[in-house]
Formats: sequence, structure tokens, C-alpha cells
Amino acid sequence: MSPRDETPAEIAISEGELRSMTRTLDEMHQDSMSDVRTSMAGLSERISSATGSIANRRAFLLGGAAVVGAGVLAACGSSSSGGTPSAKGGPTSPSGGSPYLGDLKVVALAAALENLAVAGYGLALTNAKKGKYGAVPPAIADFVVTARKQHHEHAAAWNGVLAKAGLPKVTMPSLTITPSAVAALKGAKKITDVAAIALNLENAAAETYVFATANVTDAGGIATAASIAPVEAMHAAILSFVLGKYPVPNADIGISNAVPPSALTA
Amino acid sequence: MTAFVTKTKAQHVDHAKGFNAALARLGAKEQHKPDPKYLAYVNSQKSGLTNAGAVVKLAIALEDVAAQTYTNDVSLVSTSELRQLFAGVAGVEAQHKAILLAVQALVAAGAPQLIALPPNAAKLPKAAGHIGFPDAFFPTKSASPASEGAVK
Repeated sequence: MSPRDETPAEIAISEGELRSMTRTLDEMHQDSMSDVRTSMAGLSERISSATGSIANRRAFLLGGAAVVGAGVLAACGSSSSGGTPSAKGGPTSPSGGSPYLGDLKVVALAAALENLAVAGYGLALTNAKKGKYGAVPPAIADFVVTARKQHHEHAAAWNGVLAKAGLPKVTMPSLTITPSAVAALKGAKKITDVAAIALNLENAAAETYVFATANVTDAGGIATAASIAPVEAMHAAILSFVLGKYPVPNADIGISNAVPPSALTA
Repeated sequence: MTAFVTKTKAQHVDHAKGFNAALARLGAKEQHKPDPKYLAYVNSQKSGLTNAGAVVKLAIALEDVAAQTYTNDVSLVSTSELRQLFAGVAGVEAQHKAILLAVQALVAAGAPQLIALPPNAAKLPKAAGHIGFPDAFFPTKSASPASEGAVK
């Protein structure tokens, strides 16, 4: 990256040209969606099949629970890529009356995390429209709108799995980290404050999905987490760039800031 | 951009070390040569690399195929350690791609001066806000098969 030029020239490319590039990228996105739908459908079918009897349901759910837990987080330390406080907790167990256990607890956690992102970006948009942050650069507003849309798609995908398993969808950001994230967002006075909070959340989401790839047992769930983790990492890279931070600080996406299944409150 | 290229190269060296360490742990042959398919592709492009736009386009293609391959590989390996390794690296290649897509847009816009840390956000074109992450779910259609490696 070169030093900042204080007197940038006007941009020679038109919005129309950029939109044309974007349309091409959107077409690529629609292609990739078909693969994800296949993996999610497979996961849903396997869960439906496995939960067809009480005995099978117990075996399926406990199969995941045996490996999902913050003990694994502590044992698999890696590079950190964000400032979100680590929400390490105890091993996942079928306690507290939660209907989400094993792999499905990770699915529910993912849905809740996506809901937090959707809600957070939504709050930022609302506040921006009210002028709370002053003039918001169009590129940042565009980032927020697009990232929010993608998180919404992620949440819908995960909730589709829960619904197919006969479990309630997670439609709220039901996480222990939500109150602090919301408080931070409400206290944000500049759009860069919002971007910094979003960066922490995106990094935590990316790490959570990397954690999920290693700790979920279902093939469809693994593939889906693997396909979402890079997208959250890309969001983080662009946010870092906007904030003036080096956009790809680490050689790998770690898991030390992953949100553990024990953070789920649903 | 020079700093980005330098650090990105170092990160790819780290990735190669990570993958070769995994091969060594498994008692398999380490891989120290480039993927032959993409080496041939790079060589075929060399004569056209006369401007920043062409270089960035080639880099995007390579980062994209790497990210797609590792994303796909997460589902092909059988241990949690290897899944985490591939997923962790895939995310970084995807980040390289995101930044290069943004750079490509700014170069195409004739505004390379906006490629700076921090950028002058107010001057960035609106679409630059999302051009770096075109997919809600990272694709794997262009993933290279494991059989493509040079060492048999």
C-alpha cells in the first residue's frame, strides 16, 4: 500500500462500469449458491433422517456434543485476527433446557451470530440515516448494506437446517456477547467506530466457522461452515482496509477468538 | 502495493510450510514444486504482464483458485486438524482476493492513489464497498483436484 495521497483525483470509472463489474460478480455468486443449497439440503436430510427415532436422535446429537466445546478451543490455540474478547466457556452439554445439542448447537450458534451481524449492521444503518455518524462515505454505506444481506443469507441457511430438524429457528442474536456488542454499537459516535466493532464481529465469525469445520461432524455442516468462513474473512479484510489497518494481518484464520457453543443462550 | 505483495508472498510461504508439515506428519512426500497446471498458466500470461491491471488480474485468478481449492479440501480430509488447517488458510487466500478485487476496481477507475492505508474513504466509489466480496457463500466450482499436485 502506498502512503495516503491527500489530494486524490476524481475517479475515472463510472458507476455504470462498476455496476457492470458487479453484475458479473453477482452471476458468479448465484452459481456458488447452488453448491451451498446442495450441501445444506444434504445436512437437513441427514438430520431429519438421524432424528427420525428417539434413539437415533440421541446418538446423532451426542455424537456432535462429544467434540464440540471450548476445551477444544483452548487446546487448538492459533493466531488471533481480532480484538473481540474470547468467550471461552465450558464443554457443550445437554443442559439448561436448550433444544440445540451437538452439531445442531453449532448450527444454532451460527444462526445467532449471523442474527447479531444483521441486527448490528441494521442498527448502524438506522443511526446513519438519522445522521448520528455525520456524513457516511457511500462506499461504507454500500459495504454495510451488502454485508448485512450476506449475513441474512447465512442466517437463513442455518435456520433452514434447524427447521428441517424440527427445531425452532433462531431469529434473535441469542448470545452472551450480544449485550456488550449492542452497547458498543449504541455508543459509537463515528462510522469508523462502527467499522471497528464490525471488524471484531466479522473476525469472530470467521474464527467461529473455522472452529466449526474442525468440530462439527456432519459433512454438509462442515462444507457450509467452510464456505461461509472465507466470506466473513473477506468482510474483515475490507473493514481493516477502510480503517487503515493492514487487511490480511495473519497467515491463517485462527480460532482463539471464536465464539464457543456455550455462548448460545437460546 | 509493494508491502502487500511482500507480505502476501510470505504468507504463501507459511501456507506451503504448513501443508508440508502436515504431509511430513502423515509420512507423505513433501511438495516443493508449483502446481503444474497453474505454473503453465502463469508462464502463458507472462508476456502480457505489462501493467498493474494485468498483474492484479492474474493474482486474483491464483488467489481465487487457491481459496476455492482449500475451501473444497476442508470436506475432503478426514481429521479435524486438517480441516482447520485448510479452513484457516482458505480464509486468508479469500482475504487476498478481496483486497485484490478492490485494488482492481480502483486501478480500473484510474484512481490508484486511493490504494492507501488508510484510504480516503469519502473518495471511494460506492460500489467499492462490496466489490471485494461477491459471494455470500464462497464457491468451489474451480477447486483443483488433489490429483493435480506435481508429486505423485
